[in-house]
Amino acid sequence: MSNNVMSEIRKDYLYHLVMNNERADGRSFDQYREISLETGVIKKADGSARVRLGNTQVLVGVKIQPGEPYSDSPDRGVIITNAELVPLASPNFEPGPPNEHGIELARLVDRGVRESKSIDLDALCITPGQKVWILFIDIHILDDCGNIMDASSLGAIAALMTAKVPAEQYGLGEDWPLPVRDIPVATTVVEFGGVLMSDPDTDEETAADTKLTVITTADGSVCGMQKRGPGPLSMDNIYRIVDISCEKAKEIREKFLDV
Amino acid sequence: MDDKLSFFKDGIRLDGRRPGELRPVKIEAGVLERADGSCYIEMGGNKVIAAVYGPREVHPRHLQKVTRAIVRYRYNMASFSVEERKRPGPDRRSHEVSKVSREALEPVILTHYFPRSVIDVFVEVLQADAGTRTAGINAASVALADAGVPMKSLVSSCAAGKVDGQIILDPMKDEDNFGEGDMPLAMTPDGEVTLLQADGRFTVEEMREAMETARKGCEQIYEIQKKALIDRYSRLEDPKEEGSGV
Amino acid sequence: MDRIDRRVVIPGELLAEDPKKAGEGTYVKDDKVYSQLYGLVNHRDKISVIPLAGKYVPSVGDTVIGIVGDITVSNWIVDINSPYEGLLHISEYPKRIERDEMAKYLRISSSIMVRVKDVDSTKKVELTLNDRRLGTLNTGRVVEISYTRVPRVIGKGGSMISMLKKELNCNMFVGQNGRIWVNGSDEDMDLVLKTILIIEKKAHTTGLTDRIMDFLRTEKEARS
Repeated sequence: MSNNVMSEIRKDYLYHLVMNNERADGRSFDQYREISLETGVIKKADGSARVRLGNTQVLVGVKIQPGEPYSDSPDRGVIITNAELVPLASPNFEPGPPNEHGIELARLVDRGVRESKSIDLDALCITPGQKVWILFIDIHILDDCGNIMDASSLGAIAALMTAKVPAEQYGLGEDWPLPVRDIPVATTVVEFGGVLMSDPDTDEETAADTKLTVITTADGSVCGMQKRGPGPLSMDNIYRIVDISCEKAKEIREKFLDV
Repeated sequence: MDDKLSFFKDGIRLDGRRPGELRPVKIEAGVLERADGSCYIEMGGNKVIAAVYGPREVHPRHLQKVTRAIVRYRYNMASFSVEERKRPGPDRRSHEVSKVSREALEPVILTHYFPRSVIDVFVEVLQADAGTRTAGINAASVALADAGVPMKSLVSSCAAGKVDGQIILDPMKDEDNFGEGDMPLAMTPDGEVTLLQADGRFTVEEMREAMETARKGCEQIYEIQKKALIDRYSRLEDPKEEGSGV
Repeated sequence: MDRIDRRVVIPGELLAEDPKKAGEGTYVKDDKVYSQLYGLVNHRDKISVIPLAGKYVPSVGDTVIGIVGDITVSNWIVDINSPYEGLLHISEYPKRIERDEMAKYLRISSSIMVRVKDVDSTKKVELTLNDRRLGTLNTGRVVEISYTRVPRVIGKGGSMISMLKKELNCNMFVGQNGRIWVNGSDEDMDLVLKTILIIEKKAHTTGLTDRIMDFLRTEKEARS
């Protein structure tokens, strides 16, 4: 998260780079750091994925258990998303209940999955009004080197796409793969020194203080958006960011989530 | 939403509005005695009150920033404000709403005048009817001005939504619950966006249309906010009202 | 010439196209002057905005009324009706005293008339008592109003305060921080405090001095 203090010299340096059309690690403004994705890394989980985005590392585990449905949707499954910003991952993270950054992260990942309707909640009903499958998406940040949002979102959908509903364990028939109908991908852009940069690293996140996360679906629709951080954005830049995001999300989807 | 219910009848919404029309908005500045600044707003069925305290000393002290004031924003829903009683106290949703609302106001507050202090914004939702966060931001913005906090401008906020494939302004409860998308936005009068969220499903063209629609709503709300502050002053000025004999 | 055009403005309202006109309570963006406050426009050489509300921020040279809140090793910590507390160092007491007798000279809860000696960029405020006109307030009463109303209580060229002192036979001191000290007979003090609260409420109305004058006359007639 971007609440660490940054020296003026460092910030000036980043400005200087931007003026020369450069980034500290040599990327172009819309270029992502190298992404690697591994699924099925946690055998105890029903679905899991480890994402590396540059040096940022995130582990997402999905557990699926039978439980009670919500009273206002008695015949639909339940999704519960949680993020742990554990102190191991950054000097800025502290132990204790999730702070607003953790809550926002979890809710944005949740929004992507939910609003894209990628999970058919009707298919997760066991006994209407009594028993449904509950999907726990747990995001564990291991190393925060910037943009844990995109890494978490990618990890979540990858873990879901490879998850199996553990029916046998609960005497509910054979295990079956969790049906995933859409592939939401979150992409984050910061505005800094008048330019738009995709996939900010820690320094860029700190210097820019405002970012826009756009979550798009496989057909290029926007299913979630959130401006994060204490600065404003112009409408023109928002439009540009949405265009960049659609394109980047498409690349990520094709490269890592192609089914 | 599967029971093919239509949100329009002859192009008019179920509550009688045209697609680009706001619900009635009523704003009153300076409604609380103890607070340094306050505001009450009704936006459709939403009834929201905002109070500002500060700049004042920060407790605990380690939260102080030596170069500027910090801003805290607490969005809270009264347990009786919704259909089914809400458990009192903050939940995850209200933490998130508080965060993005604070970030919607921070761009305009001139915090550098008040190093080491805090500006506290408290927003209580007394009755909820879709759009509570936008109502809260509108009220908070007026309450900040009322408290004498230096600002670059006010911030105005409202949402656009999508129902039956059409973009609408300021969704009411049913349109929010059963519609295809919701996009709350806040902006300054010169068009800087300070809050943007979206859920549902929008094509890129729809997203742009929704933003333009919300912008028009914000412009109308801005005029109402402005009038509320000017009316408060004439209330202060009118000697008849307080009957002190002067 | 001092002209309050009495127009109420809100933050972000355009005031002038000439950046040289930017005065207190305004800011410049793209060579235009905007208000940064909810307040009244004041045209002089420059355009400024007089706030209708807000918190007192100390500046050097202000004389204020403080209340001692705590005593540390070598400072009295003084509440000055501001987001910032003031520090009164032992060496700023008018005579040399020992550390262990600080509480003997200024107890917690004492009211003092002090001057702001220094304010640094982080708003650390240092106070002084070291002037004959400053000191402890042991008699009379202190009332608190918004600091934004202080100029009205003083009046143009001190007209309001002189009138109050004269009409009511009271000693008065108005601190820049909105605290006002009054000393006189109980009956007179009651009336002064009542009048001050009226001034606070009606600070921005026209013909204030005349109306206060009428009010005092009526009240005094009612008394006799």
